[in-house]
Amino acid sequence: MIGENDGLLNRQRSGSIFEFDFLTFLSMLSLMCIGGLFIYSSGVNAEGQLISREYVLQIVWIATALILYFLLQLPHYNTMQKLSIQIYVALLLLLIVTLLFGRTVKGARSWLGLFGFGIQPSEFMKIGLIIALASFFQHRKNEIGSMGTFLLALSLTLLPMGLILLQPDMGTTLVYIPLFIVIGFIAGVNRRALLLLLLFVLFTVFFAVIPVWENYILQQEIRFLEIFRRSNLVFFTSATLGFVGLIAFLGYRFAKSRFFLYFGSTGLLLSLSLLSSYLFRVILKDYQIMRLIVFIKPEVDPQGSGWHIIQSLTAVGSGGFWGKGFLEGTQSHYQFLPEQSTDFIFSIIAEEWGFIGSFVILSLFAVILIRGLIISLHSGDDFGVLIGAGVVFMIFFHLVINIGMAIGIMPITGIPLFFLSYGGSSLWTATIGLALIQNIHLRRYKY
Amino acid sequence: MNEHYYSANTVKNRYSLRVYSLLLFIVVAMLVYLGYIFHLQITKGGEYKNRARQVSSRSIPIPAQRGEIFDRNHDTPMVINVDSFAVNMIPGELTNEQMDSVAQRLSTLLGMGKDDILAKVPAQYRNLYQPVEIKSGVDFDIITRIAEHIEDYPGVSWQGKPIRSYQDSNSSAHILGHVGGITTEELQVMYNQGYAINSVIGKSGIEKQYDQLLRGKDGRRYNVVDVYGRQVGSGKMREVPPENGKNLVLTIDRRIQKLAEQALGQRTGTALVMKPASGEILAMVSYPWYNPNDFYTDKAFQAYRGYALDEQHPFLNRTIQSSYAPASTFKVIMSTAALEEEAIDPQKEIVCRGYIWVGNRKFNCHEPKGHGPVNLSEALAESCNVYFYTLGLNYLGIDFIANYAKRFGYGEYTGIDLPGEVKGTVPTPIWKEQTYGSAWVGGDTVNTSIGQGYLSVTPVQMANMAAMVTNEGTVYKPHLLKKVEDPVSGQTIKTIEPEILRTSSIRKETFKTVQQNMRGVITDGTAEVVITTEAVKVAGKTGTGDVGLEESWDAWFVAYGPYDAPPEEQVVVVTMVEAANDWEWWAVRAANIIFQGIFADQNYDEAIESLNWGWLHNDRRE
Repeated sequence: MIGENDGLLNRQRSGSIFEFDFLTFLSMLSLMCIGGLFIYSSGVNAEGQLISREYVLQIVWIATALILYFLLQLPHYNTMQKLSIQIYVALLLLLIVTLLFGRTVKGARSWLGLFGFGIQPSEFMKIGLIIALASFFQHRKNEIGSMGTFLLALSLTLLPMGLILLQPDMGTTLVYIPLFIVIGFIAGVNRRALLLLLLFVLFTVFFAVIPVWENYILQQEIRFLEIFRRSNLVFFTSATLGFVGLIAFLGYRFAKSRFFLYFGSTGLLLSLSLLSSYLFRVILKDYQIMRLIVFIKPEVDPQGSGWHIIQSLTAVGSGGFWGKGFLEGTQSHYQFLPEQSTDFIFSIIAEEWGFIGSFVILSLFAVILIRGLIISLHSGDDFGVLIGAGVVFMIFFHLVINIGMAIGIMPITGIPLFFLSYGGSSLWTATIGLALIQNIHLRRYKY
Repeated sequence: MNEHYYSANTVKNRYSLRVYSLLLFIVVAMLVYLGYIFHLQITKGGEYKNRARQVSSRSIPIPAQRGEIFDRNHDTPMVINVDSFAVNMIPGELTNEQMDSVAQRLSTLLGMGKDDILAKVPAQYRNLYQPVEIKSGVDFDIITRIAEHIEDYPGVSWQGKPIRSYQDSNSSAHILGHVGGITTEELQVMYNQGYAINSVIGKSGIEKQYDQLLRGKDGRRYNVVDVYGRQVGSGKMREVPPENGKNLVLTIDRRIQKLAEQALGQRTGTALVMKPASGEILAMVSYPWYNPNDFYTDKAFQAYRGYALDEQHPFLNRTIQSSYAPASTFKVIMSTAALEEEAIDPQKEIVCRGYIWVGNRKFNCHEPKGHGPVNLSEALAESCNVYFYTLGLNYLGIDFIANYAKRFGYGEYTGIDLPGEVKGTVPTPIWKEQTYGSAWVGGDTVNTSIGQGYLSVTPVQMANMAAMVTNEGTVYKPHLLKKVEDPVSGQTIKTIEPEILRTSSIRKETFKTVQQNMRGVITDGTAEVVITTEAVKVAGKTGTGDVGLEESWDAWFVAYGPYDAPPEEQVVVVTMVEAANDWEWWAVRAANIIFQGIFADQNYDEAIESLNWGWLHNDRRE
C-alpha cells in the first residue's frame, strides 16, 4: 500500500501483489465458476440424473488454466515478442499436424489428441496470431501505413486461416479476419486497405448468401439474382466489373481524379467479391450457407438449423426476469436445447437465471473488456497495446457471435463463449489472453 | 526515468483515440445486446414461457373407463371394455426418408399397405407436431413389438383406446345398443355436456339412454416431453385422474333373455317379458338383431352398411320402435269397455254366422262357418269377430273404444328408458279427419273393434295392457335400469323404484272378469291346443293381424301367468311374429316355451323337452 499516494512521476515500481488487477482476475474467475456450474446443469437430464461428466473435466481445465495464468505472470510479456515467430511457426506446425493426424469431430479434423486430452490448435492459434501481428506491427512501426505491411500481415493471417479452413472449420476461421482488421486498425495500418478488405469480406459473404436466401428464406425467384447463381453470368459480370475497374485505374493514372480511384476500387472490389463468393458457394454446401442466414427466419427450417435457434430463443425468452432456477430449466434439461455445454451455454444460463443472469454475465465480460482495454492502453509500449486490444477484441468477438447466436441475431457458427463454454482449448486460449493482459498490467511503465 | 514516462505517455497518446473508439464500439454493442436480451426475456418473456410450456408439455387425455352393464343377476357383465390401441404418428418428428422407412416397417406390423399409411399423412401434415392416427383397434402385442424397438419407429406413438365388447351379444344388441365416435351434429347439440371432438358416445339402446352415467369423465395427463417426445420429469407430472363411468345393473334376466331369444328363433318379430308389478323388463328380444361388435373391427363400415341396407331393418328394436295392429288382442280392451260401461249384458248372446254386413261391406269372422250364438266370454275365448263387430258398432261406438284404448296406454309413450320409442295410433274420427281428410265411417269402427284398421300398438304397450289387467288398474312404467353402481366401491348409487305410469278408475270386478275371460282363452279357446305348459297357469289373448298377405298374418300373443297368483309373482309375456314369416302360429308357441322355461326354471332345450316339442331341436336355425 505504501506509495499508492505517490506522485505521478514516481509510479514506476516493482510488481507487488497489490499491483495485481483483481478486477479482471475475479471477473474471469466468476465466469469460470458460472461456466462450471452450468456445464454441470447441462449434463443433468430431465429425471435429474447426471448424464455427462463434462463438468469434472471442466474443473480440471479451470484448475490448469489458473495455474497457467499465474505461471504466465513470471516472464515479461516482451518475451512473447521475442518468441513470437517461434510461437507462430510452432502453432502453424501443430495445425498441419492436426490436419494430418487429427481427430475428426463433427466433420472437422480439428482435434489433436494429447495425453488423453483433446486440444484444438486452431483455438491457440488465435493467441498466436495476436502475438505475431502485434510483434510484426511493432517491428514495422515506421512503415506501418505501407501496402507491404498490410499485405504481409494479411498473409500472416491467411496462412493459419487456410489451414483451419482445410479442416474444415469455418466457424473458427471467422475470427481471424476481424482480428486482423481490428489489430491492424489499432496499429494504424493503411485504413483504406483495411476498409477494402472489410468490404471485400462483407460483399463476398453477402453475394454468397443471396441465392441461398432467395431459395430458402424468400422462397421465390428473383430473376436479377441469376447473376449470382449461374456460373457463366458470374464470370461475365465479374470480368466486366474488373475491366471497368482497371480502366478507371488507368483513368486515375492519367487524370489523377479521385473519382476514378473510387470508381476503380469499387469495380475491382465487386468483381473480386463476386468471384470469391462463387468460390465460396462451390466449396460450401447449401446447408452450410443456410446455417449462416437461417437466424433471419428460423421457421423455414424448423427441423434443421432453425431448430437450434427456435429452441435457444425459447429457452432465453422463457427465462424471464428471475429465471426458472438453477437446474430447473425445461428447454435445456428436456434436451430441446442442442450443444448446451458449448455453443448454447448462454441459453441455459439465461433460462435458469433469467435476465439477472444475463446481466451478470454481460457485466462480467464488460468489466474484463473495458478494464482490459484500459490496461493495454496504459501498457506504455506498442506491443502491449496491440496484444491487449487483440485479446479484448477476440473475447468480444466471440461474445458477440456466441450470445448473438443464442438470442437469434447471429449465424450459427459453433464459436464458443470464452470462460463459460465447455472445452479446454478455448478456456486456455482465453485465460492465456487475460494472463497476458495481467502481465501487461503488472509491468506497465517498466522496460 | 522521466523519459520513460513520457515515452509511455506518447504511446498512450498515439493509441488512445483508436483504443477508445474500440472501447466505445464494444460498450455500445454490449448495451445493444443487453437491451435485446431485456426485450426477449422481459418484454416478450411471457410469450416464450408459453411456447416453452407448449413445446415441453403435452396433455394427453386419460380416457375414463366406460361403465359396465350387468343383467339383474349381477354376476358377469353384458358388456366389457377391451384394451385396444390406436397407433399414431407425429409427422413433424420425421424426415421424409424416415417417414418412408417407418411406413415400410409399420406396414408389415399393422398389416396395411405402405401407401395406405403414407396416405394418412398427406403433404400438408408433414410438418405437423400433432399425432395423426394411422390405425385403431391394434392389439397389445403389436404395440409391444413397436415399443421394444421404438428407436426404429421415430415419431410413432400409441394410445389406449378401449373398445366395447358386447358379451354373447345377439338379441341384447337392441337393449344395450352400441357406441361410436361423436358426429359433428351430435357434438353441436351436446357440446355443453362435456363432449369433445373425439368423444365416444352411445348411439342407441342403454348406451345412448344412459350415456351420461356410463361415460364418466376423461382425465388428463400433462406430460412433459423431451425433444424425442419421450416422457420425462415423471416426478413433476400433473394428472387429473379420470372419473370412471358408473356401472349399470339392468332388470334384464340373462337367462330369460336367452330363453326368449331362442323361443322366438329366427323369425322376424319380438318377444317381451315384463314383471307387471314393477314394470321391470326381464327380456326384450327383437329379431333380426345386429352385432355391435362388428363396429369395432376393420370392417366396421361394411358391417354398418350391410345392416343399414338390410330390408329386415336389424337396427329396429321392434318391441318399442315398431307398432302393429293389435288384432284380436284388442278384444281384451273391448271386453273391459263393455263390462265397465255395462254396454252389454255379458251373458247376452250374439249369433255369429261367419260374417256381418255393415253398409255395403261384408266383414268376415275368422271362422267361416260362424261361431253361432256366443256370449262375451265365449266370444273372447273363440275370438269371435262378429261378436266384437256388433259390440263396437252397436253397443260401444268409436268414442268409447278410443277412450278405453287410451286408458290402457295405447297411443301414448310408455316412457321406457330406451331411445326411439314410438307411440302407435289410436284412431278417432277427429284423427282420421285430420290425417286423411275423410270422414269416419261405420266400417272404421268395425275394423277398430277387432284391433285392425288404423289402430296400432307397440309390443311394450301390449305388455302394459296385460299389466293393467292383472294389476287391476295400475300400470308401472316399463324400464330396463335397475341400479346404478359406483364402479370402484361397488356401492349402489341409485336404485330405480317402480314408478306408476297410469292408474285406471275401472272397477276391479271388471278386471277380474276380464282375467277369467283371458284364462278361458287358454283353457277353452284359441290358444288351448298350443299353450301346453303345465308349469304355470297362463291367461292371455291371441291376435292374428291381417296385413294383406294371403296365407300369412302378424301373430300376437299377450299373456300373463301364473293366472291365480298375485301380480308380484306374475310375468307378462308378449310375443309377436310378423307376417313376413311362414305361418306357424308361432307367437303362441314361443310364449308357451317362455312360460315353461321361466316357471320350470328350464332353459330352451329343457323346456321343449318338457313340452314334448323335441322336434324343435331341429328348428334351431341359428
